[in-house]
Amino acid sequence: METELVAVFNRLAKLVAASMIMAIGFADAVHAGEMRVTVLDNEGRPVPGVAVYVEDATPSSAPAGTSAIMDQVEQRFVPHLLVVQTGTLVEFPNSDIVAHHVYSFSHPNHFKLPIYKGHAHAPVSFNENGLVVLGCNIHDHMLAYILVVDTPVFATTDDDGVAMLDAQHGENATVSIWNPRIRDDADNLSVSVDAVDHDTAVAFNLVKPLRAPHHDHSKALSWSDY
Amino acid sequence: MVRLLAAVLLAALTTAAPADDSGAPARYSYVLGTDISFVNASGHPSWVSGSGGKLRYDGDSDGLTISHAFADYRFRIADTLDATVVANMYNDDIDDSIDFTQAYLEWRPLTLSPNRYRVKIGGFYPRLSMENRGAAWTSPYTISSSAINTWIGEEIRIFGAELSVSRRLQAFGGGHTVSVHAAAFRDNDPAGGLIAWKGWSLHDRQTRFRDTLPLPPLPQIQPDGFFWRQDPFFIPFQENDDELGFYAGAEWQYQNRFLLRATIYDNRADPRSVVNRQYAWYTEFSHLGLQATLPGEVGLIAQWMSGETVMGPEIRGAHVVDNAYASYFVLLTRAFDRHRVSIRYDDFEITEADRVPLDENAEDGDAWTLAYRYQFNDTFSVAAEWLQIHSERPAWAYNDLAVSQTETQLQLSVLLRVGNR
Repeated sequence: METELVAVFNRLAKLVAASMIMAIGFADAVHAGEMRVTVLDNEGRPVPGVAVYVEDATPSSAPAGTSAIMDQVEQRFVPHLLVVQTGTLVEFPNSDIVAHHVYSFSHPNHFKLPIYKGHAHAPVSFNENGLVVLGCNIHDHMLAYILVVDTPVFATTDDDGVAMLDAQHGENATVSIWNPRIRDDADNLSVSVDAVDHDTAVAFNLVKPLRAPHHDHSKALSWSDY
Repeated sequence: MVRLLAAVLLAALTTAAPADDSGAPARYSYVLGTDISFVNASGHPSWVSGSGGKLRYDGDSDGLTISHAFADYRFRIADTLDATVVANMYNDDIDDSIDFTQAYLEWRPLTLSPNRYRVKIGGFYPRLSMENRGAAWTSPYTISSSAINTWIGEEIRIFGAELSVSRRLQAFGGGHTVSVHAAAFRDNDPAGGLIAWKGWSLHDRQTRFRDTLPLPPLPQIQPDGFFWRQDPFFIPFQENDDELGFYAGAEWQYQNRFLLRATIYDNRADPRSVVNRQYAWYTEFSHLGLQATLPGEVGLIAQWMSGETVMGPEIRGAHVVDNAYASYFVLLTRAFDRHRVSIRYDDFEITEADRVPLDENAEDGDAWTLAYRYQFNDTFSVAAEWLQIHSERPAWAYNDLAVSQTETQLQLSVLLRVGNR
């Protein structure tokens, strides 16, 4: 009985929250030049943490000095997925008390940083677009991604699976999404902007179930042969 | 012992300074540890004191003791090359001096390849235990290891080289890692003698490089016995026949949720060889290990092992001593903030396949372990463990001990750890 009440309450709360979000959504839609992108999984649930970016015919690099941070906290990379524009300087501070040995073998953005703690190294400049898979040579379970895109128009979906993007773009623009959990074919992950009305909503409805979220931290068990 | 304890306490006071926040970290990392325990045990007199009991303690050792002290030290020679040494000290009848349990180099080259390579050279543990993942091969879950890992700590060590190759399978979203490893080793030819003549045990005492362990006073290993050439003290780490042994394994890990490990070990010892009053035992086993995070953040560890150890020439189609041994355990653990509760069930057996009746080594038993731990901070923890073994071992009759026995041990410990790791 009690659990039923809780369930009903939860459903009501979600309904209220959803209508509030919709209201905000409509309000946002009024602002010119904004695009609302929603990512839903195969069962219609929002997918947070998805990279969303709009590319057009002319690739563009970040202005000089653009920077971003990929931190290391409690033997995890934070964030798990970072989106940057080509030319961005990414810092890799180590906020742990243990040393890390960060590397990536992802061509053409491969690099390695000598073992360090704190802010030991100059930022790494990612000048080619593509996916950069990060690892630590000491802690094999550490894993993160940097998605390098040729456009300043990108964002990451929030807990409601929503990302708001600046809709300014040139000819033949496409809006694309990426996340390591997504298993859908590539043609379901990008859509021509011309196919949708400007300043409105784009929804990606995934057809394949998501992979389990990345889980590199465990209170239950020790996973590294220290 | 007192000196080491004083050193640990001194280190605890002097290393309280905050870690260097930037730049190249210290070239060395270390953990010093001491366990101060109150022990209450019942059952047969312990094997550690030269009898046949399966526990580390018995009625004679009840009271307060410094049960374990260790130094686990790692030096970074280069970014991809480490040297590790682990020294242990146990306050018991075997030897209360300091000696090493591990000393090895590990090379982790960063090559531009999807494969990750690791090379270990020296004296180290094979990749088997899923419990002993703390500094100095201690367990974060219980004080006493399972029967399988206790035996590995007693008799098994790799003195040689291990190569491992692992690869993260990007095709499945990067969550899956597979690896294979293989090693060639020497100096492990007597391994198997202890499990035959003493049987399975559950405790936290690892054999150091130069330890000589007491065998139970079996009549067949006395100066007038059938195996008169065996010294009453057993040396697990020596080379008898100049033949290399090997071990090999494979692992599949899915994130930090699931790990499956399969291993084979074969010391390829010549069972007819006797060197330094130690028989060589031809010992092989297969091993499976499973680790998983269950719903509700409950950790599961299970290991299974089955093998055979033989010694002496063949008589009537079987070696003089031919024992099959098998064990498994299941451990469940859950952390509640600074508290951790663990429960483990062990099952073990040894069966005779030889036709020499005067050397009976069969046994059958099981054990329950309940453990609780509370971590005040990085330096101080307290632990409580209750361990009960039920077993039947006909060989106990040789020394007028009851062949069916329940052995119980309660251990309350203060765990002191200092270091920069």
